[in-house]
Amino acid sequence: MTRRTRSAILPLIGALAITLIFVAPMLWMFLASFKTVSGIFSIPPQWVPDFTYTDNYVTMLKDDWPYLLNSVIVTVGATVLCVVLALPAAFGLTNFRFTGRNFLADWILSTRMMPPIAAGVPLYMVFNGFGMLDSIWALILVYAGFNIPFAVWVAMSFFRRVPRELIEAAQLEGCSWTQTFLKVALPVSKSGIATVATFVFIFAWNELLMALFLTTRAAKTFPVVISSYVTTGNTFWELVAAASVIQAIPPIVFTLIMQRHIVSGLTMGAVKD
Amino acid sequence: MSASEITIARPASRRLARSKDRMERLMFLVPAGVYLVALTIFPFVYSVYLSLHQAKLTKLHRMRFIGFDNYAELFTDSLFLDACRNIAVLTVASITVEILIGFFAAKVFFSLRETRIGAVLRSASIMPMMITPICIGLIFSYIFNPNLGIANFLLGEIGISPLGWFSDPSLALATVILINSWQWTPFMMLLMLAGLMSIPAEQYEAAEIEGAKWYHIAAWIEIPAIRGIVLVGIILRVIDNLRLFDIVYVTTRGGPGSSTEIVTFFAYKQDFQYFQVGYGSAAAVVILFASVIITAITVKYLRSAEDD
Repeated sequence: MTRRTRSAILPLIGALAITLIFVAPMLWMFLASFKTVSGIFSIPPQWVPDFTYTDNYVTMLKDDWPYLLNSVIVTVGATVLCVVLALPAAFGLTNFRFTGRNFLADWILSTRMMPPIAAGVPLYMVFNGFGMLDSIWALILVYAGFNIPFAVWVAMSFFRRVPRELIEAAQLEGCSWTQTFLKVALPVSKSGIATVATFVFIFAWNELLMALFLTTRAAKTFPVVISSYVTTGNTFWELVAAASVIQAIPPIVFTLIMQRHIVSGLTMGAVKD
Repeated sequence: MSASEITIARPASRRLARSKDRMERLMFLVPAGVYLVALTIFPFVYSVYLSLHQAKLTKLHRMRFIGFDNYAELFTDSLFLDACRNIAVLTVASITVEILIGFFAAKVFFSLRETRIGAVLRSASIMPMMITPICIGLIFSYIFNPNLGIANFLLGEIGISPLGWFSDPSLALATVILINSWQWTPFMMLLMLAGLMSIPAEQYEAAEIEGAKWYHIAAWIEIPAIRGIVLVGIILRVIDNLRLFDIVYVTTRGGPGSSTEIVTFFAYKQDFQYFQVGYGSAAAVVILFASVIITAITVKYLRSAEDD
């Protein structure tokens, strides 16, 4: 065995161990979703379930599909609203020269750092006042707002990469700022926009705290429903397992698609990919 | 954009054009700005206002100004002080674990960077950080179930008596830390991997020629190269840990006793279980201030990183 092969095998063993640590727990829950209630906690454990047993999914979806739909509507709505508001702002902050520009950018960033818990009660009171408690519209508005700072910052990091000459050429040819934005900046920033939208989607999809504050019944999102399977006396593990698998699908799919941009996304453009 | 270029683009009727241009530019910034004020700034300011009042969620019209009494009470409330201590311990411990294991993992994947298997395994192991936190919490409360969980079963197989992962007051916080750092180690790993990738290959070659050991390379080449990136990661993780809620909400609910009580959950309980929104807001404002201080540092840092 040469030194070269040996030096490749040790890292491989390490990588397999690391992957096992990070994948096995998720896999264990995935397997549980195909087990009967007694199989979920049998001793010795049931290592391989019967994958044709889908009762957990059927039972869970039969009762709770409206909440899954709520989650989809809220998440998509919030993502669209957030991106529509954030992109022009990010474009303006990167291309316009005006006093207080850095201050405005910093101020927007600082709102990203605010803990949502501090906004919970006031938002509850506002939406209560408008009769919008337990409404998916309220959640769309809140999730869009909470993610604007993030979206603006990441969008700024990719608008900055649009070549200056391109913007200047469009201006010289008499394009208004709106035209420059729509016809020049946006088309060359497609992958950046996709990154921002994906992150906002996942943040909104994963959110629990605000949904607990602002919904009671009709507008509950899927995470709220999943957390309600855990009751003081009993946890409905078969439902938890099936629902968790479904809840995890969008994040997993997006992680795999977006992995090249995850670092720059989660650090809000501070670390380039 | 310099002034001369704007002048070229500008038509003859200068003043009208200028105000039109200004209107147009404002429209890029105003909607997001107004939106942020309404949905984030106003609520935060109102929370500060509420925290200075004795207020019950069910009787908000009977609010009474009490100055800083809520804060005075908070800092004598042993549950709140426990919550502060726990979140400090949790933040420091989680981030330490994330950095140590993250660095090891980054090194491993760095040495496999040009292999297909390395790419596949890396993709698989970064999944936890994007998965819904409550699902992560539930996955581990399933695994760490006291009597029937797989963790205690496996411990039993190797002759270790079962642990009360969530029920033992001296272990519960460590379990929450374990879950939290399990979810976020991949993030630190990716950050450090990005840092390692930025090291020019010549530096490694030079070190090898000089006969440097791995710890020389770590101390003199790798750690300096990733320090900046890791600092960004630490700041973001501190802020996220201060607002940690979901994992505790679905696993321990602050118990047993106050062993896993954290500030966000404390505030949530005051607001929506006891309806003491003045008191709950005061707790939230404490987190707010801690975050603001860290943010001030962050913004300064991110700005200088971006100017590079």
